[in-house]
Amino acid sequence: MVRTAHPALLEVENLSVRFVLPGSEVFAVNRVSFQVAPAETFAIVGESGSGKSVSMLSIMGLIASPPAQITGSIRLEGRELIGLGTRRLNRIRGRDMAMVFQEPMSSLNPVHKVGRQIGEGLRIHQGLSRRAARRRAVELLDRVGIPSAATRADSYPHEFSGGMRQRAMIAMALACEPKLLIADEPTTALDVTVQAQIVELIRELQKEYRLAVIWVTHDLGVVAEIADRVGVMYGGRMLESGSASRIYRSSRHPYTLGLLRSIPRLDQPTSTRLPEIPGVPLRVTEQLTGCPFEARCPMSAEGCDEQLPEPEPVGNGGHLSACLHHKEIGSAEALFPEGTLTSGRAGQSEPDNRPFISIRDLKVHFPVAGGPRRRKSAAIRALDGVTLEIRKGQTLGVVGESGCGKTTLGRALVALEVPTSGTIEINGRPIDPKSGPHRRTVQMVFQDPFSSMNPGMSIREVVAEPIRIHRLAPTREIPNRVAELMEQVGLPPENGDQYPHEFSGGQRQRIALARALAAAPEMVVCDEPVSALDVSVQAQVVNLLAEVQSATGLAIVFISHDLAVVRHIAHQVAVMYLGEIVEKGDRDALYDHPLHPYTKVLLAAVPIPETDPSRRGDRIILTGELPDPSDPPTGCRFHTRCPVAVDGLCNVAKPDLVEVEKGRWVSCHLVTGTGSEPTSVSA
Amino acid sequence: MTRKFDRRRLAQYGVVVLVAVTLNFLLPRLMPGNPLALIAGVDVGLLTTEQRAEIIADTGLDNPLWRQYVDYWGAIFTGDFGFSYRSGRPIVEMIRDRLPWTLLITGSSLAISALAGVVIGAFSAWRRGRPEDLGLLTGMISLESLPSFWLGMLLISLFSVQWGILPSFGAVTPASDLVGWEHLKDIIGHAVLPVATLTILSTPGVYLTMRYSMLETLGEDYIRTARAKGAGGRRVLFGHVARNAIAPVITVLAIRLGFAFGGTVIVEQVFSYPGLGRLVFEAVSGRDYPVMQAAFLVFTAAVLIANLVADLLYPWVDPRTRTS
Repeated sequence: MVRTAHPALLEVENLSVRFVLPGSEVFAVNRVSFQVAPAETFAIVGESGSGKSVSMLSIMGLIASPPAQITGSIRLEGRELIGLGTRRLNRIRGRDMAMVFQEPMSSLNPVHKVGRQIGEGLRIHQGLSRRAARRRAVELLDRVGIPSAATRADSYPHEFSGGMRQRAMIAMALACEPKLLIADEPTTALDVTVQAQIVELIRELQKEYRLAVIWVTHDLGVVAEIADRVGVMYGGRMLESGSASRIYRSSRHPYTLGLLRSIPRLDQPTSTRLPEIPGVPLRVTEQLTGCPFEARCPMSAEGCDEQLPEPEPVGNGGHLSACLHHKEIGSAEALFPEGTLTSGRAGQSEPDNRPFISIRDLKVHFPVAGGPRRRKSAAIRALDGVTLEIRKGQTLGVVGESGCGKTTLGRALVALEVPTSGTIEINGRPIDPKSGPHRRTVQMVFQDPFSSMNPGMSIREVVAEPIRIHRLAPTREIPNRVAELMEQVGLPPENGDQYPHEFSGGQRQRIALARALAAAPEMVVCDEPVSALDVSVQAQVVNLLAEVQSATGLAIVFISHDLAVVRHIAHQVAVMYLGEIVEKGDRDALYDHPLHPYTKVLLAAVPIPETDPSRRGDRIILTGELPDPSDPPTGCRFHTRCPVAVDGLCNVAKPDLVEVEKGRWVSCHLVTGTGSEPTSVSA
Repeated sequence: MTRKFDRRRLAQYGVVVLVAVTLNFLLPRLMPGNPLALIAGVDVGLLTTEQRAEIIADTGLDNPLWRQYVDYWGAIFTGDFGFSYRSGRPIVEMIRDRLPWTLLITGSSLAISALAGVVIGAFSAWRRGRPEDLGLLTGMISLESLPSFWLGMLLISLFSVQWGILPSFGAVTPASDLVGWEHLKDIIGHAVLPVATLTILSTPGVYLTMRYSMLETLGEDYIRTARAKGAGGRRVLFGHVARNAIAPVITVLAIRLGFAFGGTVIVEQVFSYPGLGRLVFEAVSGRDYPVMQAAFLVFTAAVLIANLVADLLYPWVDPRTRTS
């Protein structure tokens, strides 16, 4: 670990970025200062609108000015970057500092070969010939763990998976061996398993190249794993900064405490209700006159809205907090209490054991267009024999990597996909997509609250539509019903005349839920309902779902890649891999004692927001990525990535999903009961 | 490349051809009035019953519809489009005479406007929001709204009447037996004004597409990546933006070819240029239906070929559209 006493590699002082647009202004960054020492990892945590990405892009000189006004000072090895001409800047970026972006899908040029794009920096900065640059690109691809790098260098980006693209981006950034690497949410778009691989890779490379890394993220788990120091941004201000252990153990800012409290964690007992930060993240459109967090802060007191708090040292050791009342901060538990559900948790009180929905051997295959001719029946086996039951008043969590079929399962449940074979029965009757009343019973909340709502309809119309379609209320009573629903999801009914774009992501997800509830369903399928939302808002939506369930006895299918959130909300959990369920059971049994190797690996890949390595548990990093779902491996589908696969068994015979103990189903040759689990994987 | 070309896509083209030919076959038979006039191109009232019967037998109009349909296809394959009602000449000959001139002026104008539109559009987008961009944008939009006959007449009045430097009608100087280089110069001289008119009319479409496509591409994440690598302006523009931005322009060019062909109907009339467009104009004014139909088929074929070329170019420009 490197102390900041060393001469800083990067010094940012009073950086402000203001966007002047016709008719509006955005104060994206407001006098932010920090330093990064050589070979150090500095993590910047913040939500959307916090100014974290804008700060990073300003360092790289990637913010167009105008319309932006950038003031303050950014010095790399003592050299001022603000005001530097493009030509001079071009000699520095890519060579002394490099950046890895959030979206590996769109950050690579689709029309150029990957190798050429990696070599481009070398051609620019080191004047390498095309051939020499290519040779070096192959070495770099090999170094970042791309198999058969020499051939892959000639592939186009669309031929790479998400994880491979991010590896290629890292190879590109490191091509000229920069001193500073800025990684802007580099793992947010990736699965937890791949995220663990990328985090590991950057850590290795950092040692190898003595690289300073600024890691921008909203994921406090990842930060705990990698950061030497942490800065917390909100509303364009750096609210707190200090060593990682200080921030995690003895934060002196209410916002940091709130963030740490509101994320569900795998290493702590489940609570009935997540502590939440009220309100929505701030977008600063006028000069700040007080603390940006004031409106959402439980400690907000006199003076907070009158002056902008400056970072003040807390103890010695470089810990700064920009809170007027940082000395009086009590315990995080007192500031952000857990709270209780109004009517206790449904399903726990009286488990209704009759299955409400039963799925038998469900298969959904999508034919592949233009597939190889020899396999005429080439199809993506999105669901390949899924059997499940869902009970009233209960939540079934469905987890797995992207491409495992969990979204298809959700869509099949609301009859948006036609099963290739198998049955779905609702209350004992097979699902009938043509029957309106039947369709009404199962509703869906989609992942993206921005695109799943008609922008031309007011909220009132959005929520009223299912009532009209299913004739659930006489016309003159619809407004009252809509108002009730809006209140139920925590939206003021007087906002009904507004349009979707006027709401924040969290509010829109509330509207989506109100719309689903308007059909008076018996079950709601939520497909990644919180993954597009800010951390501080996720807890609000998760709590809302639990509340609605306890009030209405609704069954919920909660599809998510976030195992901690699922653990918090689900009663039953199903783990999916390549279109099949590999393990299912009660939430606590499954999380406390995972049986299937895949479940273990998934759980182990989740980063724990805890800086002390001894409290994080062992890391098993799953190698490789999901195989091609149109050509799944023989035998057990997981055997190609399984750490305990037995040759001659797992790659030959397909294990059945068997009940190893009451209510606990596992499909693994090596698991026959709780006592006989494979011993070499212990998470 | 051709091997990779999807069979399904070829089948789609087949369907389009089928529909176009079938429509062309049905149209005169479905239109009100006697199809005799439309198909045989005769003023029916002036004929005696015997003459009428003879013509009907001649043109096969007494056959059942399916038989006529099969014969129609046969005629197309053998290049037999019948005879012009007005001149009595075989239509296929007339088209053979006219088509090269139309191909000359549409081909050159399309090539010039593609080049000009792409270059000016790229420049404009690169200077987005600056005076030069706004000036070009305004200018191009004004050009696009010019009526073609007016523009043609303006050019004639300036270049032929006022300054007398360019010929105002025809494709070659009549009754001049120029050969070789002189002949070529004569042809080019006659083509300049029609080509200029067509070019001015079709450049704005290409320009607007290119400019918009460039602006879209400039906002892409991978352009930011390129800048983060330290790539300079020229490298970003030519290495990263241009190739991505050009893909939609190819589609627009294929569509513009259809417009260009349609545009020749008026432009060739203004310049008395002996191309296919003028033939159509003459056929329409003289109700020479057989000629109109044949010209329609040629136009359809040209647009289809242009689309085919665009489809074949696409995978070369954008690797994502290559079928693996």
